[in-house]
Amino acid sequence: MKKAAKWKYGLMATTVLLGTVLSACTSETQTQPKSTDTPKTEPADAKSREIRTLQILSRPQASAPDEYERANLIAGAMKELGINAEIKAMPYEQQSDIVWYKRDEWDMTGWQMAARPERLDPDEFVYNLFHSSTAKDGYNFIGYNNPEYDKIAEQQRITVDREERKNLIFKAQELIASDVAYLFNVHPKLKYVYNHQVFDPNSVVEMAGMGIRNIWTYLNAAPIGQQKNMVLNSNDSVQALNPFYISGSFDSWVTELIWDRLMRIDKDGLPKPWAAESVTWKTDTQIEIKLRANMKWHDGKPVTAEDVKFSYEAPLTGEVPMYKPFVEIIDKIDIKDPLTLEFTLKRPWAAFETASLSKLNLVPKHIWGPIIEDLKNKPENAESYQEKTPIGSGPFKYENWKFKEEVVLSANTEHFSPPKIEKWIMREIPNTEASLGMIENGEINFLAVFPGDGQLLQQKVEASPNLTMVTTTDLGFQFFAMNHRRPPFNDVAFRRALAAAVDRDMMAQVVYKGFAEPGDSVISPALPIWKNPSLPYPSGGVEEAKKILQEAGYEWDAAGKLLYPAGKKEELGK
Amino acid sequence: MGNRSKFIWSRLAQMVLTLWIIATILFFIFRLMPGNPLVAYIDPTFTKEQQDILMAQFGLDKPLWMQYLIYLANLVQGELGDSFKFRAPVMEVIWGVLPNTLYLMLFSFVIAYLVGILGGVLLAWKRKTRFETIGIIATLFTRSAPQMWVGMIVLVIFSFHLNWFPSGGASATGVVYASEWEKLTSLSFLKHLFLPSLTAAIYLMGLPLLLMRSNMLDVMGESYVEVARMRGLSEQRIMLKYAARNAALPVVTAMAVGIGYALGGNVVIEMVFSWPGLGRLLVNAVSASDYALAQGAFILSAAVMVIMNFVADILYSFLDPRVTFGKGR
Amino acid sequence: MNTDVRMEQRPVQVAYRKAGFLAVLGKNLAGAFRFLKNDPFSMTGAVIYLFFILIALFAPLLAPYDPHEMIKHNGKLAFNQPPSAEHWLGTTNMGRDIFSQLVYGAKPAMMVGLTAAFFVVVVGTLVGLFAGYYKGRVDGVLMRVTDIAFGIPFEPFVIVLVAFLGPSVWNIVLAMGLLLWRDTARVIRSQVLTVRERSFVEAAKISGASDLRILFVQVAPNILPLSFLYGSLAMGWAILTEAAVSFLGFGDPAMMSWGFMLNDAYASQALSREAYWWIIPPGIFIMLTVMAGFYIGRGSEEILYPRLKNQ
Repeated sequence: MKKAAKWKYGLMATTVLLGTVLSACTSETQTQPKSTDTPKTEPADAKSREIRTLQILSRPQASAPDEYERANLIAGAMKELGINAEIKAMPYEQQSDIVWYKRDEWDMTGWQMAARPERLDPDEFVYNLFHSSTAKDGYNFIGYNNPEYDKIAEQQRITVDREERKNLIFKAQELIASDVAYLFNVHPKLKYVYNHQVFDPNSVVEMAGMGIRNIWTYLNAAPIGQQKNMVLNSNDSVQALNPFYISGSFDSWVTELIWDRLMRIDKDGLPKPWAAESVTWKTDTQIEIKLRANMKWHDGKPVTAEDVKFSYEAPLTGEVPMYKPFVEIIDKIDIKDPLTLEFTLKRPWAAFETASLSKLNLVPKHIWGPIIEDLKNKPENAESYQEKTPIGSGPFKYENWKFKEEVVLSANTEHFSPPKIEKWIMREIPNTEASLGMIENGEINFLAVFPGDGQLLQQKVEASPNLTMVTTTDLGFQFFAMNHRRPPFNDVAFRRALAAAVDRDMMAQVVYKGFAEPGDSVISPALPIWKNPSLPYPSGGVEEAKKILQEAGYEWDAAGKLLYPAGKKEELGK
Repeated sequence: MGNRSKFIWSRLAQMVLTLWIIATILFFIFRLMPGNPLVAYIDPTFTKEQQDILMAQFGLDKPLWMQYLIYLANLVQGELGDSFKFRAPVMEVIWGVLPNTLYLMLFSFVIAYLVGILGGVLLAWKRKTRFETIGIIATLFTRSAPQMWVGMIVLVIFSFHLNWFPSGGASATGVVYASEWEKLTSLSFLKHLFLPSLTAAIYLMGLPLLLMRSNMLDVMGESYVEVARMRGLSEQRIMLKYAARNAALPVVTAMAVGIGYALGGNVVIEMVFSWPGLGRLLVNAVSASDYALAQGAFILSAAVMVIMNFVADILYSFLDPRVTFGKGR
Repeated sequence: MNTDVRMEQRPVQVAYRKAGFLAVLGKNLAGAFRFLKNDPFSMTGAVIYLFFILIALFAPLLAPYDPHEMIKHNGKLAFNQPPSAEHWLGTTNMGRDIFSQLVYGAKPAMMVGLTAAFFVVVVGTLVGLFAGYYKGRVDGVLMRVTDIAFGIPFEPFVIVLVAFLGPSVWNIVLAMGLLLWRDTARVIRSQVLTVRERSFVEAAKISGASDLRILFVQVAPNILPLSFLYGSLAMGWAILTEAAVSFLGFGDPAMMSWGFMLNDAYASQALSREAYWWIIPPGIFIMLTVMAGFYIGRGSEEILYPRLKNQ
């Protein structure tokens, strides 16, 4: 009983302690913003011209540390200009919900364009991202509107002559740069590591803008020891293995190996005939395609022109919605003989080879024909159909898929371009530290995704006798979007000032530890054919930025806060 | 015994009621959350019409009350709808990972409760010594350490440095098992299972250990132990034969409840060790806004918890004669 | 039952009945310091808390740098530095001072821990008090609600809530407030069931005191110590939960907590870099805080599993 009372006292004692701290903790100490240069005399209407606190959306540090740190740097630069910025971290789903569906409600947001093979053609970036027609509900979520630009973007689509098109693409980049449509940050360096005790280094293929993780490496990599399998990592789940469903990026690593395409993007970034022996443009809208002879599906049946026609027409049934945009331009497909087809387009499309012929999977009609027919009477579409054993005609055959563990493919030795490895195995390793440990101790022999610190990776590779690292400038890019619909971002001078104030070199050095190139365009320096090397994108740091603002009539109040030019007011509240 | 069966029936009715309310809460949590449930799946290039088709496909075009009724009717039949992300029935997706979750859970419980019970006996035996104090402090340490922190340290030591165990996944690369049994008995699978189980067990063992110790101390004060002592039996024999046996029963009940808690609770460990389990599935589903899947995984964990609570109550009523079956509890 | 034995009160309450709640509380407080001197375990726990409380209060004085500042030496960012005289625990991969982060981390830990504990204690105690005192239908309803809380798995619940409501530690606190009162409520209820049968409660009833008065003046002071015991455990839970949620990527980036530090270290591969000075200290600090709660509630074996002891 005595003991019982003691208990109580002990608890009481701590309660007193805790009580003190609770009251003490609630008194927040706020760090004062650093005062900027001493301002001049304050305009009389300063109060109404004060720019509101601007919000910067970003994914949280835990899931996208680089984006969050870049947001920090940008907010810092804005502070130096006398602009209050507040970073709002939120999960990607919420962020994209706001950015896509509440187009009037955000100021700035972190965003990225990922590298995809079809993006090796500049059309998607140049047209979809900035053409005014996509501003309402398409990819032009920033609301960029420039009639001069629209004309160029339209013109490059239908210009089939490469040199002529290149000039248009150069001009488009120039406009984007001088208008500062985006706040460009960097093109990260893709960093991949393979084990050179397993694969002959000369057989690993680097692809422009995509790095060594590509189908050419998978086909070409020559095992030199006992290990005949390529074991690589992914850090998220495979969702579906379906030739008619564009799902997660890891799914596409697998599907492009199981299913062949008429053309494939070669390592220089240009499409080359693949399942097609030849692709001949008869006119700007007529293409003749000759198939390779003796191709077979993995179940042994021959690949015919009928199958190809089916693969391109199935998306028009409405059962394959995601591929529809890539075939809508096709007017008709005629079968000339069992190995020859003629495609007729509704109008010329310069990116047709990249965006359609290299994109659609060739699918066996004898398997998918009945499935599509059956689906027409059901609410589901082809995306929710999962074959027990996926059948394609590609260089790898499906062998096994252990959900949330691994996908195993085996070499299709009857393929016209048979792989040299025996199996291609993708292991799901969500833990970045573990994937690093695994490439070091040999559990995997190809590090295909590494979201971590490039410098560390390099140290590890240099310390290991087995590993080789290959870095490639990414085709994709990281940037912050500004909402052109909302002041002050509707003023090109303001955007130019921000662009000048943001130190992109520092981003590349600090956030990416040098594993990134400062960006100034939607086209990556990895694509010298399309990249305009001399762009009028503003730079020069905070001083230059202040000059730009001053010239455009912006002023500062006594406390150093930025004010709109005379005559303008803050209309969007605080 | 009439009282007992009445007790069981009333508990059973309560359990069903509880399950229904939890299912209802979940339904509304997931439906009333901000954001279009399909936002992650509607490609911006989709037309309004295509979006509507998708909404209809997942039954999201109907009024909320109707969705609720359909949901309940399906739930009764064990039907959890289709995953938005995987485009497959939720049940199927969950079945793909459930065995692994169960293996990890059971294995870690076996380790934790074996070590815990033995450790508890040992501490009770060495009561009032320095050994006991240190033992208790050490146990509290294991119970206070963040799991991912322990997991990462375990991973670095046993996998990266010593190379004794593989660093992730549930099976060796490219291995295909003919049956679950073959998988369970293969050395490679057990090796993969060991580190995550160890990490979970380090946390779990604190409870049975401390519980066992205190039960032992209680039991050793009981008269029959005194009698045995007077009969001149050895301390070792008394400890194991009389005290431990009686003290272990409540620990077993604790295990039933603990299993309920653990089903959804190994999220962190599954992440650290790339273990293909239910927890990771849930996290993925939540961060991908796959409502149907998240809801399914959640309901399953909740159902297991409720059922294990029920089992514990029933077990307890058999073990402890002091439980009465009168009014209330 | 075991807890009854432990918690059985000397009839102080009878003596202080008229003086009421404050007097009982005052008496308890007076004994508190005497007690701390005699019990080494609780003493240790209290000292650990005191230590962190002081750190939290004086963080700006103790920390040499702003925890968010990217530190530059001669214009070059000082990242990934090992411990040195300038940076006692080195710097992070973004050039932030780890020691300063550790010091600043005490405050959110204490704040989150205390608020979570507060909610758990208040909700749990109230539910337990009403259920145990009124019995019958009130008890039935409240205990069914408790059953429901027991049926919802905690970690998934936190994840769902935080994912939908946004990454903020206060949402973690909210989740705890919504669920974790369940253990407290059950224990308090069974405690109240025995306390209400005591003679001093009878006496109060006869003298015509209202139910609420009896509940809060006579019964409540007797079960408060037990509530605080649960509070000290909830504190540890809150800190561990915050760390786990941070690790899963749903953490609050604005809050420099130890859980955030651990995740930051993990996300930037501090382990592979063998930067143990970055990984070990926040882990140790979390452990110490959680343990302090256990120490204060020594006998934690009963507390960890109320169901077994308090049916």
